[in-house]
This record gives sequence, C-alpha cells and structure tokens, in this order.
Amino acid sequence: MSLDTDFMVKVAYTAIHGVPVTLKIVLVALLISLPIGVLFALIRIYRIKVLEQFVKFYVSLIRGTPIIAQILIVYSAFPSLLNTIIGKAAFDINPIYYAYIVFTLNSIATLTEVFRSALQTVDKGQMEAGLMVGMKPRQTFWRIIFPQALISALPNIANATLYLIKNSSLAFIMSVKDITAIAKTEAAFNYNFLEAYLVVWVYYLIICYCAEVIFYLLERYFSKYRRPTKKTTGFNWLPFSIKQPEIEAKTDLTESERTNHAQN
Amino acid sequence: MENIKLIVNFLGQLLPAINITLIVSLSSIILGSLLGLLLAAARLSQSVILRVLAGIYVSVIRATPSIIMIFLVYYGMPLLFNGWFHTNIDGWNRMYFVIIALTLLFSAPVSEIMRSAYESISKGQMEAGLLVGMSPFQTFYRIILPQAFVVALPNFANSVVNLLKEGALTFTIGVVDMVSKAQMIVANNSGGYAWQTYCALALIYWVISLAIDKGVSLVEKSYQKKRKTIAV
Repeated sequence: MSLDTDFMVKVAYTAIHGVPVTLKIVLVALLISLPIGVLFALIRIYRIKVLEQFVKFYVSLIRGTPIIAQILIVYSAFPSLLNTIIGKAAFDINPIYYAYIVFTLNSIATLTEVFRSALQTVDKGQMEAGLMVGMKPRQTFWRIIFPQALISALPNIANATLYLIKNSSLAFIMSVKDITAIAKTEAAFNYNFLEAYLVVWVYYLIICYCAEVIFYLLERYFSKYRRPTKKTTGFNWLPFSIKQPEIEAKTDLTESERTNHAQN
Repeated sequence: MENIKLIVNFLGQLLPAINITLIVSLSSIILGSLLGLLLAAARLSQSVILRVLAGIYVSVIRATPSIIMIFLVYYGMPLLFNGWFHTNIDGWNRMYFVIIALTLLFSAPVSEIMRSAYESISKGQMEAGLLVGMSPFQTFYRIILPQAFVVALPNFANSVVNLLKEGALTFTIGVVDMVSKAQMIVANNSGGYAWQTYCALALIYWVISLAIDKGVSLVEKSYQKKRKTIAV
C-alpha cells in the first residue's frame, strides 16, 4: 500500500482554486437565506393564514428530500424554464447560479426551523416588558426579542453552515468547478482517486474547522451581552458588599427557578 | 395534468429499486447504532485516551462531507485490505462499501445523541436503583434506558432521516438504486421528461421521511401518556 505523494501535492495546488468557489456558494446561500429564514419563522410563529401552510409544506418538502434530488430537479427544470422566458441565452448561464439557487432553497428550510425554535425560547415576559415601558411591538421585537433569539440560534446556525459546506461538495454534479470537481478531473487521468479524495477531505476539514472557530468567536462575542445569572442564596457571605439585588439578573432564570423564587 | 400522469408513471418505474435504498439504510442504521453505542460508552468512560479518541472521531466525522466519505471508503478500503491483510476485496458488492461509509457517518451523531440522552437522566435515578438492591446493569436496563430512550427518540429520528438522504448518494459509486434508476430513465428518454422523473424520485423520499416523522411522533405521544409527573 503506497500513496503517490507527488500527485497529492499536485492536486493540493490545483484544487486550491476550487476553495473560493465553495466558499462563494456557501456565503451567497447563507446571506440570502438568513433574512428569508427569519421571515418564514415569523410567519410560522404568528400563524399567518395561507402563508403558514405554504411555509410548512416548503420546509417539510425540502427537509424530506435528499439534496441530490433537489440538485437534479433544479438542474433539469430551470434551464428549459428560463429558455421559455429569455430564450437561448439560458443555456449559457454559469452553472454556479444553479448551485446558488439549490443551496439557498435548501438552507432557507433549515434556517426557518432554527429561527423558529430560537424565537420560541425567548420568554413572553420580554415582549410584555417591552410593551410596558412604551415601546412599539416592532421596536420590542427588533431591539429586545431578536437579539436574544439570535444568541440562542447561533449554535444551530453554525450547524446549518457546516451542513451547507459539506453539501456544497455535491455541486460537482451541476458541473460547477469546486474542490471536489477539480480533484475528480485530476484523478481521472491516472486513476489515483484515493489520493485526490484524501486531499479534498483535508480541505473540507480545514474549511469546516475554520467555520466552527468563527462561530465560536461570534458566540463568545455576543454572549458578553448576556448578564451572568447570580444564584440568590439566603445568606450573604460578604457583609460589606450588601447591594440591591440586580433586577435584570432574574430575567435569565428558568421557569422552575422563577417559581421557586416566587415561593420563597 | 399530463405532468402528473408522467410522474405517476415514473413512480411505478422507480419503486422496484427502493429495496436497495431500504437495505442500505436499515443495515447502516443497525451497525451505526451499535458503533455509536460503543463511542458513547467511550466518551463516558473513565479512561482519558478513550474519551479523547472518541471526541476526535466525532469531530472529524462531523466535518466530513458524506460524498467524500463514500469515495474514501470505496477507493481506500481495498488498498488497506491489500496492504494489511493481503486479501483482495475488489470483488465485493459495492453496496458493502456504502454501508460501511454510512455506518461511519451515522455513528458520530448517534453517539452524541445517546450521550446527551444518558446525561439528561439525573444521577439520583441510578443511585435509587442501586439502593433498592438492583445490580448496575439491571438499573441501567430497567430504569435509565427507558427514560433515555424517550429523550433520544426525536433526535434519533432526525438523524435517521438524514441518513436516508445521505443514502441517496449510493449511486455515485455505481450501485443501481433509485437515483441511478432515475438517471437511466432520463437517459433512455434521451434527456426528456427529466424534471418529472426527478420529482417522482423526490416524492418517494419525501413520503418515506414523512412516514418516519409520523411514526416517531406517535411513539412519543404514547410514551408521554405513560409518563406521570409528580405534582410538587
């Protein structure tokens, strides 16, 4: 058993041209689908009549079908669809646009679920408190509810991003020249597929770990706005530091702790 | 209307290939759960080496695209077997390679699910079981496991659906499953009716995953009825 190391180095050099393509697909898909995901999650939460059914259907359809089927459908349906609208020019479109479409559609569904569960974790009292101090519902949502939901959504957004990065390796089926496609064509000359895929594997590991580090830093940065919860014990051990208890700190207590507190 | 007729027609042609998908997913679910159980046990064990190894394995698998995993197993395993055991496994049915790859992919999330479910059960349950004179295994089997099962079920179902979707990549190494059948049908029609064929394909997968979701929510409901909470 021996690996052709010279070939691996060669593939590593050529496949690096595919990294920007992969990153472009991931970034475009994420940036488009984040706002739409929030919108869809709001539709689900506020139960807007017809739209809610549509979002439900859409999410279940996308989450229930393999991405390869979505790729094949979009790649076979869109060119002929566009052909009827803009004519022959449809067949000259760079296939990367189809990749954008597929991965955006796909991550909208994942992010809708992510934001829905994140918005549900925010306590109802937050909204009521915001309205109490005289903010408008919209103001309360954007200034109070949404930032809190975003923090609790971050780990799941990180997961969705990883999922997206991993799935973007399927773009080669649409003849997009990403990392996998370049390695595949390189390997086809001499049939050293194993070496080529090992290189690709390392690339994906690096990209995924970088994404994880970025999201970890984001999480740490945003969670500094979260006030630490102080355990309220009956006895204060530091007699010189008697202060008024912080009212804000209690908002972070969980439901059971709050009821306990009320009973005390 | 004509499109619907076509889709129904293609459904009939695709359905016979479903058994490959089912065999691949079922066997990798079973094998992957066993491997995941071992991994979860390793992550919860006393030994530092086992914990670190299992942690590295899980995080590497988490960052590996499924298609790369399938290719690595398909091209790498024969070389490994040749080098280490001097056996030739080139002639193996290609389905085995897919099953191995999917098992490796499935074991990582499952081990995490099992671990978090086990940790979600409070230690007092174990202590109470031991106190009334049950053996550790009995306590685990009769007290911990049923409770952890309910906690793990929704996440487990989620990763089963994910596995099913990853299993659609079987066609990339030349196993004739539903996807490659669909591609053959398209090729037979010389590229015509492509999106109708693929819609039929997507429809089959959608129905399977809807069925899994429905089944899980039914099981969950029946468990929630049994669960009695003690009013404080």
